[in-house]
Amino acid sequence: MTDISDAGAGAAGAGAASAGLILPVATPLVTRAWLGADLRTRKAESAFALLAGLLAAAASIAPAYALGLLVDRIQAGGDAGAVIPVAVVIVVSAVVGGAATGVAGFLIGRLGSGILADLRERTVATALRLPALVLDRAGRGDLLSRVSADIAAIDRAVKEVLPGMISALLLATLSLIAMLGIDWRLGLAGAVAGPLYVIALRWYLPRAAPSYAEERVAIAARSQLFVENMQGLATVHAYRLEDRQLGDIALASARARDISINVFGFYTRFVGRINRAELTGLGAVLVTGFLLVRGGFVTVGEVSAAALLFHRLFGPITLLMATFDRAQDAGASLARLVGVLGLQVERREVVCRPAGRDLALDRVTFGYGGAPVLREVTLRVGPGERVALVGATGAGKTTAASLAAGILRPDQGYATVGGVPVNELPARTIAIVSQETHVFAGPLAEDLRLARPSASDEEISAALDRVGALGWAEALPDGINTVVGDGGHQLTAARAQQLALARVVLQDPPVVVLDEATAEAGSEGARDLEQAATAALEGRTALLVAHRLTQAAAADRIVVMEHGRIIEVGPHADLVTAGGRYAQLWAAWSART
Amino acid sequence: MSRNAKPGTAILRRAVARNGKHLWSGTALAGVYQLCAALVPVLIGVIIDRAVGRGDLTALLVWIGVLILTYLVLAMTYRFGARHLMRAIAEESHALRVEVAARILHPRGLRTEMRPGDLLTVSTTDAEYTSYFLDHIPRISSAAVAAAVSAVTLLVISLPLGLIVLIATPIVLAVLNLTAPLIARRVGDQQRQAGKATSVATDLVTGLRPLRGIGAEDAAAERYRTVSRLSLAATVRAARTQNAYQGVSTLLSMLLAGGIAITAGWFALTGRITIGQFITVIGSAQFLIEPFGVLAVVPSWVATARASADRVASVTRAGLVLPPGDKIIGGTEHDLRLAGVSHGPLNGLDLHVKPGEFVGVVAHRPADAEALVRLLAVPDAYGGKVLLSGEPLEEVERAEARRLLHVEPHQTDLFTGTLAGNIDLYGGDRLDDALRAAAVDFHDDLGAPVTERGTNLSGGQRQRLALARALLTGPPLLVLHHPTTAVDAVTEQAIADGIRTMRHGPGSSFATVVITSSPALLAAADRVVVIGDGAVTAEGRHASLSVHDETYRRTVLR
Repeated sequence: MTDISDAGAGAAGAGAASAGLILPVATPLVTRAWLGADLRTRKAESAFALLAGLLAAAASIAPAYALGLLVDRIQAGGDAGAVIPVAVVIVVSAVVGGAATGVAGFLIGRLGSGILADLRERTVATALRLPALVLDRAGRGDLLSRVSADIAAIDRAVKEVLPGMISALLLATLSLIAMLGIDWRLGLAGAVAGPLYVIALRWYLPRAAPSYAEERVAIAARSQLFVENMQGLATVHAYRLEDRQLGDIALASARARDISINVFGFYTRFVGRINRAELTGLGAVLVTGFLLVRGGFVTVGEVSAAALLFHRLFGPITLLMATFDRAQDAGASLARLVGVLGLQVERREVVCRPAGRDLALDRVTFGYGGAPVLREVTLRVGPGERVALVGATGAGKTTAASLAAGILRPDQGYATVGGVPVNELPARTIAIVSQETHVFAGPLAEDLRLARPSASDEEISAALDRVGALGWAEALPDGINTVVGDGGHQLTAARAQQLALARVVLQDPPVVVLDEATAEAGSEGARDLEQAATAALEGRTALLVAHRLTQAAAADRIVVMEHGRIIEVGPHADLVTAGGRYAQLWAAWSART
Repeated sequence: MSRNAKPGTAILRRAVARNGKHLWSGTALAGVYQLCAALVPVLIGVIIDRAVGRGDLTALLVWIGVLILTYLVLAMTYRFGARHLMRAIAEESHALRVEVAARILHPRGLRTEMRPGDLLTVSTTDAEYTSYFLDHIPRISSAAVAAAVSAVTLLVISLPLGLIVLIATPIVLAVLNLTAPLIARRVGDQQRQAGKATSVATDLVTGLRPLRGIGAEDAAAERYRTVSRLSLAATVRAARTQNAYQGVSTLLSMLLAGGIAITAGWFALTGRITIGQFITVIGSAQFLIEPFGVLAVVPSWVATARASADRVASVTRAGLVLPPGDKIIGGTEHDLRLAGVSHGPLNGLDLHVKPGEFVGVVAHRPADAEALVRLLAVPDAYGGKVLLSGEPLEEVERAEARRLLHVEPHQTDLFTGTLAGNIDLYGGDRLDDALRAAAVDFHDDLGAPVTERGTNLSGGQRQRLALARALLTGPPLLVLHHPTTAVDAVTEQAIADGIRTMRHGPGSSFATVVITSSPALLAAADRVVVIGDGAVTAEGRHASLSVHDETYRRTVLR
């Protein structure tokens, strides 16, 4: 069955190749290895599931076998009492079969869901630790479709396909053994269907697999469009883009639909080939039976039993064959999840206690995979010092801040705290409040607890109080337990910023990087936020990206950047006196007044 | 079942109605297919009886020929029937998806409590599950056909046997159906939990940057783990119920088929039926297990489809925020008048923006500014008057209102594509002017790609792109909300000049409202309106306010 794995490889390859920016997909080999390793950790559970499945299969074969024997009794002109042992076998089989079917289905379902739950948790955990660069390039839609559509696809396979597939396999195996037991020639006649089934699969899978991969990519594109439009709803409305965006969504959805329909065309022809295998096998059993009965090798009852057993297999084997592609479909989803697991995540390899609380960039050069945005940048923020980064848009301030906070890693040079590279620092040493704010859906207190899961309500209230947010937070409908974020109470941008600062207070890191954190709120809100920031930064080493020069003027020192380099460093008064770039900026700023 | 059952049912009913052609062709072909499949065991009995049992070669050849013919019809009907059905399902789920999207994007705004993750689930999983209902119909009818053929065969062979099938089958199905509500509840619960888990994953991945900023990856992963475990528990609970049901239905089907076979065996032993008939009976009875099985699991399938249809309906039937405005405003000069407006923190706000005016708005409280912007974008739930050229804003036809009064959201949303695709939405002819006015000088190539939500651009770049986009659109009334918070002072000045040049040249009737605290923008405005405590507290030119108004100076002159 080498073709099957080849087809799988083709599917993964097509998925990866057709969209250069999409997150990686695991190879079939890696996926299988992962699954095998996971199953080995659940040995007892798997064994019980298999046992129950075997019992269910045996119970469903027994009646056909017993009835075949009854045929001979009838032919021999037995009395009515001959029916009794057969009746007993049937009733016992029904009871055992019913119980075993239920138990097997449940055990297999539980096993599969358990594996899936572990997998999705690990996928999300990995996704949360992906390097910022990887995530920005791949787009969140792809990741979101993996944690939603792919998980759903596997979930469905686990619930609907897996139990049937396993029971069909067991049934086919036991039935073949039973037929061989009746007469090896009858068994062989039935087995003629085997190669035909394999041929059908080998015809189908190489055709279906690339289409499935294509379908997945189309679905990912569709769901990315969906997410983007839901999040950008205000813009869609403002520009009356509803029709255009809906057109795009409809187009993406129609594309996914057409691919699905196309794949299904192959599938129906595949079923035709399955029917051919059934007919051939059944014909072979009947003709062989005819010859064997003529030659006196077997009885009519034995031929009946063999034919009935064989016919009994049609349903389950078709199911097995049909679910083969759904299993493959789920396999493609699995490969996409395992692909995420295989990504390099940002983990602290070594953890070193820093010798101090000073933050430093040492000859740092960095480019977003292209020309450097920062060149040989060196700066130092002393313990407890507040340093402001100033410069025109695009000067590299945000990049420098991200590097200092360990969100990005330098191409050359080092970002350190107390002499320790930022990615080797213990947790909760450094925090960054970036331009992007997000209010996490759920109770307000739970949002803050992301910063410190063990925080008590009192500590949360204290953190809110420190940034001046306790007043409005307590005035919310359910106080700090009010559900906020998506689907909950909507908070203003300024309040969302205050929450971000409250999280920092709660996390209590010695070093903080603040990137335009106060820029979003406008006049009075900005002043509140500046006060909140000042309170949050108290006693901490701080590097802040300043757009308002007043913010810069209040800092201990100012670092002026231009085109990815530092051009001036010094306290406000010195720089103004020096008459350099900062003095110009300050003059422009003051002139507007 | 539940009070939501009705809308879901209507969705299912409509799915059937609008896919009639493919659905019924497919169902008819599927019926013929099933008929052929039901004939196979009958033919096996005939072949064993007439050919194998009697050693008759001619009979063998004839009946094998009939078997081949049956298979030929079976294969063809499946192939074409299934394609019809697949088309119906694919078309329906596509139609539902687009419908859900259309509702979410509806210009009048969707009134819903659902989170984006939930909406995503509705648009993907639920749309799909709902359309599967179109697969259930042919399966049910085919199963019924198979059951009927087998029953007729059995009736012809032996009246008592046929009667057993006809009486016992409905009883078995009725017993099994008793559990349907329980299964529906468990399945619904499981779907809800799965939706919640998806929502949390979506929310956490969306807020990834802030999370990473405070090193909360572990806490976030733990939070997802909690909902994932709840979802797992719900799945296991549902699996327990469904498999208990599966076990009982297997037991009853096997007993039913077995009972028929035993009775037939007894009849054959006592000479009431022939051995060939006996084999046909057990073949049919055995074959019957599958259609019975299908009929038995139907309640759980339909329950799933129904639960999903209910969720689809909860979006497609959700109310809209705004009324269906129908007023069309003619003319080229437009003004905006707010009189005694209360909305959120706004309390008695008066503001008149005349054609051609460039008005700066300074709000002491950010909430006031946000309320004003929200109100102008979505004029809902307010007191007083908001008039666009004399007409209440919400009564103006939506597209018209948005064409005349453009409110640029402060949060910049860009779409995957190119820079040009994000700026030039309507093919405006002043692209270069707009780019210059908004100081979009960071990229020579407008064909450069924009990744999802513009994450490959800096905050300042995104903000300027959005401004260029708004300026190029050229609305008669333009409202900007803190448009320069992420750009430096020099650029800010260039933008202030740019807005004036682009929109307020000689003879222009364009009006612009800029809510800002930037002195550069305020200085460029014709007049400045100051809002404090929800109402206008001061008004005048920036220069004179800066001199005479101490509060204003402290607010603006930083």
